[in-house]
Amino acid sequence: MTVGEQSLSALEPAGGAALDGPFTTRQLLRLDDALRVADQQTGLTFSVYLGELAEPARESAERLHKQIEHAATAVLIAISPNQRVLEIVTGPDARKRISDRDAKLAALSMAAAFAGGDLAGGVLAGLDQLASHAGKN
Amino acid sequence: MSTFLVFVGIPAGVIAVVATLVLSRGDKGRSSRRYRPGRPYDFQPIWFLAAPEQVHALAIGQAGSHAQPALEAVVENSAGERVLPGPTGGASDRW
Repeated sequence: MTVGEQSLSALEPAGGAALDGPFTTRQLLRLDDALRVADQQTGLTFSVYLGELAEPARESAERLHKQIEHAATAVLIAISPNQRVLEIVTGPDARKRISDRDAKLAALSMAAAFAGGDLAGGVLAGLDQLASHAGKN
Repeated sequence: MSTFLVFVGIPAGVIAVVATLVLSRGDKGRSSRRYRPGRPYDFQPIWFLAAPEQVHALAIGQAGSHAQPALEAVVENSAGERVLPGPTGGASDRW
């Protein structure tokens, strides 16, 4: 399977929404690549949600997190640009590898990038930090 | 007549070509799609996963060949919602 095919499959749940979203095709490809590398290196399941979060944001992010298969080892980054809120949710097993302090550190650098209007860059930086804190599988 | 063509016709042609190229760039798509803090963000929600079948709601009934054994102790409460064995962690931030 080529990179192109895989990236298309990664965008499937979003359907056409991903292509109509705030990212360029190049950014989507980089995001897909970052997710795949993070998953492979750490053995955890990383995912990024970008959209409205019902208030309270923390609870709705945790609800999304529970929908992921193997939620115990899943890490969800939920971003709501309208509310300017960012939530990182780590499952019980993932939490042993990524401490809450590490998650906060990643959240800070992501928020800094978002405040500058760089959605894709912030997500990539956050994924990279979380994956490196989690270490190798 | 040929002087007129060379000194007016050719420059006018060049201007027309450049103007067409500039206006047809479709600049509006790229610049308005960008997220800017403080401006409304009106895109559909997107969820990125390296493997989309990992979302539970979508994965029902399609057990992939690479599905991991169900060692994970996911229990469901009386309302049928998935409950994780331990507390979730993470962090929040605003910008």
